[in-house]
Amino acid sequence: MRPRTLLRIARWESTKGLGGIDRGAVAVAVAAVAFVLAVGAVAVTGGVALEDGIYRVGVSEDAAYHDPVAADPTFAAVDTDGRNVDTGPPTPAGDGGVAIGGFRGDGRIDLYVEERAGRTEIYVAFFDGEPTEKGLAALAALRTSVGRYNDALMRAEDNRTAAFPVTVSIRFLDRSGTVAAETPGDGGGDRSGSAVDGGNGGADAAGGIGDGATGTGESGGMGGDTAVDAASFGAFDLFGTSSTTGSPSDIRPPFPFQSLVLAFLFVLPLNFLIQAYGSSMLSERLNRRGELLLVAPVGRGEIVVGKTLPYLAAALGITAAIVGGLWLLGSGGGPLSVLAVVPLALLFFGTTFLAAMFARSFKELTFLTVTISTLLTTYAFVPAIFAETSQVAFVSPLTLVIMDLTHAEVSAGEIAFSLGPATLVAVICFSLGFGIYREEDLFTQRPVHLKTLDALASRIHRPRSVALVVALLVPFVFVAELLAVAVLFALPVTFSIPLIFGTIAVIEELAKGIPIYAGYVHARYGRTLAVAAAVGSASGIGFFLAEKMTLAIQFVGLPGLAVADAAFQTGLGAGDPAIVALLVLAPLALHVVTATLTAIGASRGRRLFGIGLGAAILVHLAYNVAVVSTVV
Amino acid sequence: MIEVCDLRKEYGGFVAVEGSSFRVDRGEVFGIIGPNGAGKTTTLKALAGLLEPTSGTITIDGKRADSRETRRLLGFLPEESPLYEEMSPRSYLRFFADLYDVPRDVADDRIGRTLDRLELAHRDRALGDMSKGMKRKVAIARSLVNDPDVLIYDEPASGLDPLTTKYIIEFTRELAAEGRTIVFSAHNLYHVEEVCDRIAIMNEGRIVTEGSLPELKSTHGETVYHVFTTVEVPDATAEGDRYRRTVEDMDELDAVREAAIDRGGRLEDVRTVEPSLEGLFLDVASPERPGGEKPPGATEG
Repeated sequence: MRPRTLLRIARWESTKGLGGIDRGAVAVAVAAVAFVLAVGAVAVTGGVALEDGIYRVGVSEDAAYHDPVAADPTFAAVDTDGRNVDTGPPTPAGDGGVAIGGFRGDGRIDLYVEERAGRTEIYVAFFDGEPTEKGLAALAALRTSVGRYNDALMRAEDNRTAAFPVTVSIRFLDRSGTVAAETPGDGGGDRSGSAVDGGNGGADAAGGIGDGATGTGESGGMGGDTAVDAASFGAFDLFGTSSTTGSPSDIRPPFPFQSLVLAFLFVLPLNFLIQAYGSSMLSERLNRRGELLLVAPVGRGEIVVGKTLPYLAAALGITAAIVGGLWLLGSGGGPLSVLAVVPLALLFFGTTFLAAMFARSFKELTFLTVTISTLLTTYAFVPAIFAETSQVAFVSPLTLVIMDLTHAEVSAGEIAFSLGPATLVAVICFSLGFGIYREEDLFTQRPVHLKTLDALASRIHRPRSVALVVALLVPFVFVAELLAVAVLFALPVTFSIPLIFGTIAVIEELAKGIPIYAGYVHARYGRTLAVAAAVGSASGIGFFLAEKMTLAIQFVGLPGLAVADAAFQTGLGAGDPAIVALLVLAPLALHVVTATLTAIGASRGRRLFGIGLGAAILVHLAYNVAVVSTVV
Repeated sequence: MIEVCDLRKEYGGFVAVEGSSFRVDRGEVFGIIGPNGAGKTTTLKALAGLLEPTSGTITIDGKRADSRETRRLLGFLPEESPLYEEMSPRSYLRFFADLYDVPRDVADDRIGRTLDRLELAHRDRALGDMSKGMKRKVAIARSLVNDPDVLIYDEPASGLDPLTTKYIIEFTRELAAEGRTIVFSAHNLYHVEEVCDRIAIMNEGRIVTEGSLPELKSTHGETVYHVFTTVEVPDATAEGDRYRRTVEDMDELDAVREAAIDRGGRLEDVRTVEPSLEGLFLDVASPERPGGEKPPGATEG
């Protein structure tokens, strides 16, 4: 592959359409983007003002509630001097010593606050004998606002012990499939904290919670001792630097909402870029436009890579710009975030390239790219939700972005685990698509499933080449199984384990069976029983050897998760050498037997291929239930 | 220069070309004709290195047709020449010149001269806004950006109006006169007759016959004589105030002359009628001919 040729093709790919774009439209688009960015920057730095002054509160300046009301822009303080307020009898003082009542107002105010004989009475606007919806909403907002105001006062207090008499360290542990008996430890007993009624009424100054989470220790084995120094209290704050005060009810499990939202910024541009990339690739195929490139003295690889480079460069450029923007705003995020997006971008482009090689029209391509967007965005996001709670999150490269944004440390093994599968799958997608990037496949109008078989068959020349093709599919299997684990691990073990057994059996038998069938469809080998046995054995051995790559997951301890152990059958839990040997050799026998069943069916036509594949899935499922669930 | 030996190309179970062998010498213009589906385009694409033969060999200047070195020597013009319509002729041709490693100044000069020869104005207009004839001229110019020794033209005048067609055929003759080796296919037999030194007739994937036009005529066609007499003779047809009879040899001609004299008339004129390429083509490519039978193993699918 010659760099000069690559750059020529890349330059052509990125500039060929420039003549067809209206300059005025470009100027308007640039202005619109600049405007949106400017508004976004203002919103991020200054906050949005959508709720400013929506609640009007009648409160005199000397009342204790005046300052919290004035400090919160949601409220507009109105000094009524009692005019136009016809209060009814308040409820007995409760709720922190604050009496709540109603008043028949003239619609000018939603709440009325009065201090009478040393106690605070809050009145909600009434209409037709019922409190108004807005008045009730204002009351709820006032409670929250006063809480925040009191927290701020406490944080400003020099005497920390007086402000926060109880300090609790909270450590969140992973939910483990192998649940250890919880020992009381020092948790539970020292539950403390109180709702302190502030002098200005109803302010919960501090709260506490027992260290009830201790006791499971490291037994989960998932590296789950993610220490969370500060829980997220109520509303999230930018970049996860959460406050450290609040009441016990405010404590939430760590959820990197902010980082997740920010991480979405990294994936969003990819969804647009693949549309442009897919269209460009497909347009080479439609009307044989790309035929003349194939005649030129350039390699097919140079064409594909050269055409992909501008889109990859755009993805990385946008990512770098986002990282730079976030850095300017004081967030984390740096080279690791950009690095994490590379395999994700390659995965998006690789699958889109394959889709563009398969699609027969732009309509079909749109369907495929939307499916790709949805699936890959799910793949990136679902595991990343658990970024702060479970190692399973590292299935997605996006987790690295989140960790980077929150300044969390990440090991080299976690980086490799997170980036490896996506990169491998992307490379294989490009490789399969590249196999049919030639005149006689590129311009044909065959249905997607037949093109898939063409792509697989392009690498099959004899029975033993099935082993290589099946091995190439193992990263797909790995990613699909990881995704299944990520989706199912939240379910109770009684449901998730049987479900994962079934899912794994289907995924693995399809991965072994489809290349076998592709070879038969393209008459790559004979249809005798002996050849079927050879093809089945090649498929089983190829799968077995490549599957051992999944042992890499041990480096990050994912098999500690029961559902992952069931999925990958690493046998880590088995101490007996005989069982370990069985777990190594039994899968080889299983894969050879099931792939041979499929091959015998495929050698006798499509219908019997389906039957053979079904039988293989059943045998695989029975094996999973009988062997894996017994020893893992 | 070009040597095709026992070429076979199979798509799945369908045999598109079977056992084709021919040779094209340097500077020669070689035509391939045949009915639709005869295998002409497959043969030309294999020559251009676009298709890998299922079996057999193709060498150009002693090298494999699909090698990068060989592709540098080639100019290929497919039957359809879809262009990158968002580009202008100038930028399109520059891009391809780049791919052939033609230095920019040489490329600009060559592109300018070629477009001048092809009388193509509007060099910076988007290709999508051009007529079919203009696009075809750009496609021809593209086939020349690398100043190739070998040109492979598949139906160069397909779908064009008579004026543009005439222009392109004449241009192809000029290219041939420059000493380039050209392999040329066309449905219009007149064009082939105009341009080609030698011709191969293909049918159902096989080369049925091959040679120069005189050779083909002598092998497959028959010269006939139209004999005009002043009186009616047996088997003659009236044409104005005289009668015409077609004979195949001199003995027959003598018999007609004697018959005319016997009836008090005389032999007025004799015209020699050479066999036409069209006649040859219809004769050779006819499905009734043994050579026109479906090749063994050729199945649909």
